[in-house]
Amino acid sequence: MKTLLIANRGEIALRVMRTARRLGIRTVAIHTDLDATAPHVLAADGSARVPSYLDIDAVVDAARRTGADAVHPGYGFLSERAAFARAVTEAGLVFVGPSAEVMDAMGRKDAAREIAERAGVPVVPRGEDAAYPVLVKAAAGGGGKGMRVVEDPVDLEEAMAAARREAAAAFGDDTLLLEKFVERGRHIEVQVMADAHGTVLHLFERDCSTQRRHQKVLEEAPAPTISAAVRELVLGSAVALAREVGYVNAGTVEFLLDTDTDEAYFLEMNTRLQVEHPVTEMVTGLDLVELQLHVADGEPLGLTQDDVRCEGHAIEARVYAEDAYGGFLPQAGTAELVRWPTNARVDAALEQGQVVSTAYDPMLGKITAHGPDREAARRALVAALDETGVIGFTTNVGFLRALVAGEEFREASIDTAWLDRHELAPPDPALARTVAAWTSALLTPGDGFRLGGPPASVRVELDETLLVDRERGRAGECSVTTLSAADHVVRLEVDDERVWGLLNVQGTRADVVVHGQWHRFEAPDAFGDAAAAAGDGTITAAMPGTVLSVSVAAGDRVVEGQTLGVLEAMKMELALKAPFDGTVADVGAQQGQQVALGATLFEVEPDA
Amino acid sequence: MQELVDDLRNRLEGVRRGGSESARAKHEGRGKMLARDRVDALLDPGSPFLELNALAASGLYDDAVPSAGIVTGIGEIHGRACVVVANDATVKGGTYYPMTVKKHLRAQEVAQDNRLPCVYLVDSGGAFLPMQDEVFPDREHFGRIFYNQATMSGLGIPQIAAVMGSCTAGGAYVPAMSDETVIVKDEGTIFLGGPPLVKAATGEVVTAEELGGGDVHARRSGVVDHLADDDAHALRIVRSIVATLPPSGGLSGGFDAPARPSRAAQPPPPQPPRADPAGLYDVVPTDPRTPYDVREVIARIVDDSAFHEFKKLYGETLVTGFAKVMGHDVGIVANNGILFSESALKGAHFIELCNQRKVPLLFLQNISGFMVGREYENGGIAKDGAKLVTAVACSVVPKLTVVIGGSYGAGNYGMCGRAYSPRFLWMWPNARISVMGGEQAASVLATVAGREDDEAFKAPIREQYETQGSPYYSTARLWDDGVIDPLETRRVVGMALAVTANAPVPAPSYGIFRM
Repeated sequence: MKTLLIANRGEIALRVMRTARRLGIRTVAIHTDLDATAPHVLAADGSARVPSYLDIDAVVDAARRTGADAVHPGYGFLSERAAFARAVTEAGLVFVGPSAEVMDAMGRKDAAREIAERAGVPVVPRGEDAAYPVLVKAAAGGGGKGMRVVEDPVDLEEAMAAARREAAAAFGDDTLLLEKFVERGRHIEVQVMADAHGTVLHLFERDCSTQRRHQKVLEEAPAPTISAAVRELVLGSAVALAREVGYVNAGTVEFLLDTDTDEAYFLEMNTRLQVEHPVTEMVTGLDLVELQLHVADGEPLGLTQDDVRCEGHAIEARVYAEDAYGGFLPQAGTAELVRWPTNARVDAALEQGQVVSTAYDPMLGKITAHGPDREAARRALVAALDETGVIGFTTNVGFLRALVAGEEFREASIDTAWLDRHELAPPDPALARTVAAWTSALLTPGDGFRLGGPPASVRVELDETLLVDRERGRAGECSVTTLSAADHVVRLEVDDERVWGLLNVQGTRADVVVHGQWHRFEAPDAFGDAAAAAGDGTITAAMPGTVLSVSVAAGDRVVEGQTLGVLEAMKMELALKAPFDGTVADVGAQQGQQVALGATLFEVEPDA
Repeated sequence: MQELVDDLRNRLEGVRRGGSESARAKHEGRGKMLARDRVDALLDPGSPFLELNALAASGLYDDAVPSAGIVTGIGEIHGRACVVVANDATVKGGTYYPMTVKKHLRAQEVAQDNRLPCVYLVDSGGAFLPMQDEVFPDREHFGRIFYNQATMSGLGIPQIAAVMGSCTAGGAYVPAMSDETVIVKDEGTIFLGGPPLVKAATGEVVTAEELGGGDVHARRSGVVDHLADDDAHALRIVRSIVATLPPSGGLSGGFDAPARPSRAAQPPPPQPPRADPAGLYDVVPTDPRTPYDVREVIARIVDDSAFHEFKKLYGETLVTGFAKVMGHDVGIVANNGILFSESALKGAHFIELCNQRKVPLLFLQNISGFMVGREYENGGIAKDGAKLVTAVACSVVPKLTVVIGGSYGAGNYGMCGRAYSPRFLWMWPNARISVMGGEQAASVLATVAGREDDEAFKAPIREQYETQGSPYYSTARLWDDGVIDPLETRRVVGMALAVTANAPVPAPSYGIFRM
């Protein structure tokens, strides 16, 4: 293998390139027009334009044009498309992943289940065997589409009809499956690695139970709650399954663990490198991409199961451009300032100045912390998230930080549906405001000299006004000490708490990231306030004219800015608007009426 | 000296609280900011504030009118030095006592001399009626405030007012005479006659808000230009107004110490004195009769302690020379003993030199007077003293005076006392000021009365001079611009030099020097 084309973008493309470069393999990136100068393109040794990351012919053609002899699909996009693996292989190139046939076999959930059963892997009870509640799902599905939970047999028929419609629309295949629904489950998955010489190894398991609508949020290795017996079962089952299907390269076998019964069921197999592979790498010390490339090159793994050890604990957090406290809506914008932590593993492709659009997956990167035990890893991850900041658009880092620092995650009691049942309280902006005020005061020139007395405090106008006494180390009600301040980053001690902050203070605006959450504070605008707009509630004719229309009557409730009527004067139509929220006390205007200058047309009484 | 400074700081701390605790609580309870908080919020964060006459009226009016009920001084708004005049409504409703008027007028004089925009934060019930004979009729009384506003506006010195409370009768003219005006909704009122007077005069019953509230003046009367929600909003609007002002036509802008970068090219930051300024407390003897070398004081005030002394060997009781204070050039004239003919001639020469070169003058005053006696009178010390006084009086460059010790008799004149219109005059807490020393006055009066040995006659005279010679007696009556901690001299002089550079300097022209 001399030249590797990475058929992907973002952090995973960079991740694959890192290992390839270390192994002396030339790297080629592909990109769309939108990504022409994206980090993965700049990092590669060569690049080729494609109309879409999903265009199989274009990607294979790009590999051919750039002289690549191998293709790594990353995750997502074409990574689990058998047709792509087939096209790459048929072009005479090496596909870094399992064969198209294996992908085909494992790609369909019903086929995968049959294989699993043959391999003696426990599967979710299905059809008549399943006790209620049951899950109705599309055979070809994924991502929650075409899924329905049915609590009571009477609802089954209707649920199946709806699921069938969704499945047909989403996948073009309305085959449905019916299986036992696990209400409180944990998502356990086993990393397997197999070579073309018959070696199949497991690289231990991961727990990805912290999910939101089936999207993983936090992943860790090893699984914190399972018994030795369950661990043995899932590890053994995963190896058996891979062996059964003749699997080669890296794959992940997913299980659902019913926490009520401690039973594990096979869910599906992912025939690619997973997003969360870093946690496995950190506990095993292995480079999964390196193993993938060796295996793809036809080499033996060179490892025995006993060589693979699981040491310590690793937890990964996925960073998304989304507003976790605003309905998890995807966010877009320019990353004005970006800081990734230096005290944890970072797999990211977001750089300062980069424009993030909603065209691609909103994941910006992953932060993975390792420690001798789970609690140490968890604390390290909190510390790492505390030193992560993006200014320019909202990310979920604040949410991740709150989640990882929270009691439920500490106790490993978060099941796969927990986040769908719970909402985290939005962060209190008080600390961020204090950090913004203090830093703003540090940047304020002048010492506030006062004759024969202590200097004046610095008044920092944010959304609220805080007084900062730099000499005595007070900001508002807090005592503050600066530990360091450079290059937009401050480390402060606020009331005995160490706080890391990323800041951009520009004129009347302060952007701050504290505890991962971006806050924007703006000083009030002298000319943006309501006083000038609201008079005494008497709306008079500004000019002599004709009342064209009257749209309210006495006693009507009106809101500020609501049109009460229209006056025509000097060839203009003037909308007469309510100056504030209130009640119409009197209407002096009548449609068609000629009114004199200053005539009272409406009276609005403000809300008390 | 440390004790004297501690006493000064205690006095300042006392007056800065403003009115009584209940008055302040009531004021803040209405959502209003205290006068000094308003000033702080008006100025740029971090801006210095060179307060004027903080101890005005102390000891007067039963000591019930701290700071004379008005806060005045110079501070920066959007980097521009402005004079701020803020009524303190927690002190007698912000009404004008005689010293309040004098202090207001002095602030306006500072603004006019140095071409600084004026911001009036109005919250006052107008003249203090029981003392109307001392505040209303004379040339330098209440009416002069509006005269000054009109003439300054005419000179292109912006006049801005924010009405943050009542603004009654004559006071109504402060906003009305201003170039641009803000009023706080539901708090500010402007009327020539308040509701009680209206009822008495015409029988009309009307609320203050209907008569002259913010809405009325912003929408109907046009007396104000901007309507604000509250104090903070009003101050933001004032700041915005100042931001729109064109640059002043003075020499160079900038008002402050090196910490604030000016918009112009950055000169190297001034070096602090090599001699530790803290030594000022030890250098200056507590007993004013003990002589010391004033160069020890100069070394602790000027940049890098670098002093280019002029005519060091001639007229040695007056020290003259060039130095820099906070980066500003200055010519220093400092007493180092009694004034003789030679010292007076040297001083006159040096002042001419500074005028020729347009270098501002700093007088460090510690003078018991001109030498007396037959030899000196016959030698014409009067005409030599007159030369010095002429030079001081006709000087066109900005003059600053700091009384660092005694200020007696004609020495006060030759060393640019208040009557010689220095742009600013400050006193150290150890300073003494009177026409002559108490002992001398007692002796002279006793001799005239033929009661040379009558201690009972002399004691009250000595006591009177003791009381009236105090810097606090002086500052209460605005004979100066404030009593300052000697350690703050360098900073204060530096700020003042920056401020004075705002106004252009005309060509020098002198009266007759009697030869």
